[in-house]
Amino acid sequence: MVELKVIAKTNVTKENQILRQILGICSALAVTNLMTNSLVMGVGVTFVTALSSFTISLINQLIPQRIRMLIQTFVIAFYVILVHLFLQTFLPSISKQLGPYVGLIITNCIIMGRAEAFAAKNPPLPALVDGFFAGVGYLLVLLAISFVREILGFGTIFGFSLGLNFTPWTLMVMPPAAFFVISILIWITSAWAIKAEEKGRRA
Amino acid sequence: MELKNHFMRQKMMTKVLISLIPLYIFSVWLYGLRVLTLLAVVTLVGVLAEFWVMRLIQGDKVKVTEAALVTCALYTLTLPPTVPYWIAIVGILVALILGKGAFGGFARNIFNPALVGRCFIYISFPVQMTAAWAKTYTSLPGGFLRYGVDALSEATPMILQETQGVLTPLKDLFLGTVGGSIGESSALLILIAAAYLLYTKTASKTIMLWVTLSGLAFSSAFYYLGYSTAPPIFSILSGGFLFATVFMATDPISAPRDTLSQALYGIIIGFSAIFIRTFSLFTEGIMFAVLIGNSFAPLIERTVREMRAKRAAGGAK
Repeated sequence: MVELKVIAKTNVTKENQILRQILGICSALAVTNLMTNSLVMGVGVTFVTALSSFTISLINQLIPQRIRMLIQTFVIAFYVILVHLFLQTFLPSISKQLGPYVGLIITNCIIMGRAEAFAAKNPPLPALVDGFFAGVGYLLVLLAISFVREILGFGTIFGFSLGLNFTPWTLMVMPPAAFFVISILIWITSAWAIKAEEKGRRA
Repeated sequence: MELKNHFMRQKMMTKVLISLIPLYIFSVWLYGLRVLTLLAVVTLVGVLAEFWVMRLIQGDKVKVTEAALVTCALYTLTLPPTVPYWIAIVGILVALILGKGAFGGFARNIFNPALVGRCFIYISFPVQMTAAWAKTYTSLPGGFLRYGVDALSEATPMILQETQGVLTPLKDLFLGTVGGSIGESSALLILIAAAYLLYTKTASKTIMLWVTLSGLAFSSAFYYLGYSTAPPIFSILSGGFLFATVFMATDPISAPRDTLSQALYGIIIGFSAIFIRTFSLFTEGIMFAVLIGNSFAPLIERTVREMRAKRAAGGAK
């Protein structure tokens, strides 16, 4: 059980997919102008990563190694289609806003990364936890980015106006702004990581 | 901690600052003393930002370079006279922290920091940066005894030309009694500054020459082919073309160093500026043009160097 906790923690912090591994950047640029979109996207990715890791770990013994990536892609595609249909049915307006990016979850490197790096070598339960928390790490970063972008770009949080009388930053609504926000976040977290490492070495 | 120990003097940069004095005096006459308070605010915030970010890199031996002062002074001249203080502050923070500090500080930045800052606020706050332009004072004592301008107008010579086809007389453009960004008005004063910079060998004459030639060539081409209604001389004198050519394109850090590369770099900038002015929604393109030129500079320099090395090797055989 201790091990699962460690997996969960490192996936959110030390090995955060976006901030430390620089994966999943494309969707982090595209959908982070509004917090609601980021939340839905993050939950979708978490769902897909967790269940596809779980499934791949379950069937890994049955797959010939040569075609394992092909099978992994099939599994991931299956869950992505579930998310896509779910959003189209129950949240049509958000599904429209996210546009092609839901379908593109399948190309999110985080999912394939977890499948190859972890799920293919570990039993189902740790794989599930690993995938789930990799997704949670992604979700949290997305929310942080969109928090900055939505406040500066629209003056709202989750669509609720903050009642501020201010000038919106047009740039924050556009994808390039995510480059600035992500890179500043990476700058800050890398500085932390370096400091923590130095402390660890001294101790 | 002595302040003296934390400031790095750079002779070249002092000369640039001297060359800007006439432009500042002239712009106070046009737009009032607010220009100077704006400069003071921008410089204060800029120096603090540079000190903070360089401290992360250099620790206690941190030095604020004189180049940071040049960035602040140039950046202020590119702003519209009516720009709110807080927007100016956002821009200079982006300029020195993201445009310069993030790359590692002085001499490591690939883009001209002043233009990075201006570009950021130009795209973020289009209304404040482009919708309102100050009417200029054109008599004595002009703005020397006033804080700001009394009247706003919606047009600069470039906007008049693009929307109504009205060409401002070249004499006004040359002397600078026209609206626009703080420092870009007077072609005459910019040319005097250019002469001073060239005489003291502070700025590259190759770059200035080729940006201007390329600007002239492409604006003539677009004008005589019927794509543009702005005659070539008008294009060079209006907007920020001359200002950017003299002060921004020649930035020794973000421009290439050898003559051939500088010429190619100049051609790219002149072409991009006129191309953006003619075919895009933006009225002015020189800011983007210099940034585009900056991004090509390392590539041009490397290609030229490799070509030369190859030719030298071939000749030796």
